[in-house]
Amino acid sequence: MDKNAIEVDRIFKTYADGTAAVNDVSFRIPEGTCFGFLGPNGAGKTTLMKMLYGMVRRDRRDETRVSVFGFDPVCDELAIKHLAGVVPQDNNLDAEMNVSANLFIYSKFYGLPAKEARPRIAELLDFMELKEKSKAKVNDLSGGMKRRLVIARALLNRPRLLILDEPTTGLDPQVRQVIWDKVRSLKKEGATVLLTTHYMEEAYQIADAIIIMDKGTRVIEGAPRELLAKGIESWVMEVLDPETMSMSGEAFSEGSLGPGVRREDGDSRAQFFSDHPEALRVLASRLPSGVTHVRPTNLEDLFLRATGRQLNDIQ
Amino acid sequence: MTSSRLYPSLASRLGSVWYRHFRTYTKDLVSNGFPPFMEPLIFLAGMGLGMARYVPNFVGMSYLQFLATGLVMTSAMFTASFECTFGTFIRLEFDKIYDGMLAAPLSVADVVVGEAIWAGTKGAFFSFAVLVIISAFGIVNFFTALLTPIVGFLTGFLFAAIALLTTAYVKNINHFNFFFTGLLSPMFMFCGTIFPISNLPKSLQIVAEFLPLTHPVRLGRVAVMASGWEFTLLWSLLYMVGVASIILFFAVKKLEKRMVK
Repeated sequence: MDKNAIEVDRIFKTYADGTAAVNDVSFRIPEGTCFGFLGPNGAGKTTLMKMLYGMVRRDRRDETRVSVFGFDPVCDELAIKHLAGVVPQDNNLDAEMNVSANLFIYSKFYGLPAKEARPRIAELLDFMELKEKSKAKVNDLSGGMKRRLVIARALLNRPRLLILDEPTTGLDPQVRQVIWDKVRSLKKEGATVLLTTHYMEEAYQIADAIIIMDKGTRVIEGAPRELLAKGIESWVMEVLDPETMSMSGEAFSEGSLGPGVRREDGDSRAQFFSDHPEALRVLASRLPSGVTHVRPTNLEDLFLRATGRQLNDIQ
Repeated sequence: MTSSRLYPSLASRLGSVWYRHFRTYTKDLVSNGFPPFMEPLIFLAGMGLGMARYVPNFVGMSYLQFLATGLVMTSAMFTASFECTFGTFIRLEFDKIYDGMLAAPLSVADVVVGEAIWAGTKGAFFSFAVLVIISAFGIVNFFTALLTPIVGFLTGFLFAAIALLTTAYVKNINHFNFFFTGLLSPMFMFCGTIFPISNLPKSLQIVAEFLPLTHPVRLGRVAVMASGWEFTLLWSLLYMVGVASIILFFAVKKLEKRMVK
């Protein structure tokens, strides 16, 4: 754990249309760990990933330094891509070819001889639970199967670094669990995993450390459990129908909530945060039963607190 | 550390791009192999039965021979042009094939040059198919014409470069109509395919000398007839290789801006 797979110092990206997609972000990823980038759409997560393997050119600045296993993507893009397996946000499979042909053709891009490629493909189809589908056309696969095929494709060259750009967006819960299992077992084998997601659950399940990004900058960074412990109160009470609060005749304004209780209002719900569930239960008892819900806070609460509740332009 | 050990060699990378296209093309061998043989058959049947009998003696060969030997290279031109306009555009914009390829250890230059080499291969195959048909009809001698696919390759490569540069600028797939109707169709008519450019007015002859189809047709006709070799053909060869290389260089630069943001 003492060596870093990736070191990024002060990276910036401004697109041709003037959008500042990534604005002064730095991070270090120790080898063999899983690092998650969280943030709403447009936060700069994908741009950041793509800059690491040369699909997006970072701004030229003297203070920027990027190292992926000692290589800089500006001059050693191919060496990085040879060591990394990339699962892009869009599946971009070869729709004209079947499942195993997709993998075989891709193995040629890594220069794998057929003798090595064929057993590796069989192994990966087995690992990603696609064995029965090896002769199926790509367009006949379900969304979850296509995603697993893209992951298998990224694993062809036994990558030391796996880049997963929203690996489970739009997939059903069973498939997500399977994919998380696979990522965990790859990590056990020593791979470094880089993940972008907007599922808090996903980051909690597989990431050792996360960065929450918003508008191209880092908002917070740390281990998911520590961030939860430090970044937000442990409990929340949600009032799903805030009108009942005024109808109850009780006071719910700041100052009358009791010590350590914080109120936050959304469009159609009010939330009360506290480290003391008892304090929240007292508040709940002032309201009719059924309109309140007390639960432990999760990364989603932290995420919303860190990135705000308003939708941005591209969401 | 030598770079060859960090990632596949240039030859391996170009070969892998070529292989991807080869597999996709040969998957439907019957439907894809139908046009290159059928098109010249239809054309020659019509021309041979109808028009050519009125012009038995032409510029040192029968008119049917003149037409047939011209057709060899226009066939290579058209297949490479379709491959690297509509084909490339669909892979770029709709199927996102290049995004997938560029996540592997390939550069934009590998992808683009590999594609031009593939289009050259199709040019070689299409010119060979025309050669098979016209020699089956006894119009030319198959066995003395075996340099034809090499010229076919160069022709395909040249038009792939031109088509790729065009594609780099095209945002709307319908704009390829300007390329086909505005550039390829006039060249088909005025670059020595169906009549010698010496029949053109002097000023247009000079223009024709600079048009890219003139040289493949000139070189191809000599290769197919296996006669008429002369020193000036070297200029045609240089033109094809030189122009293709320069245009391909700019196509790579321009497509890089489009693929890598």
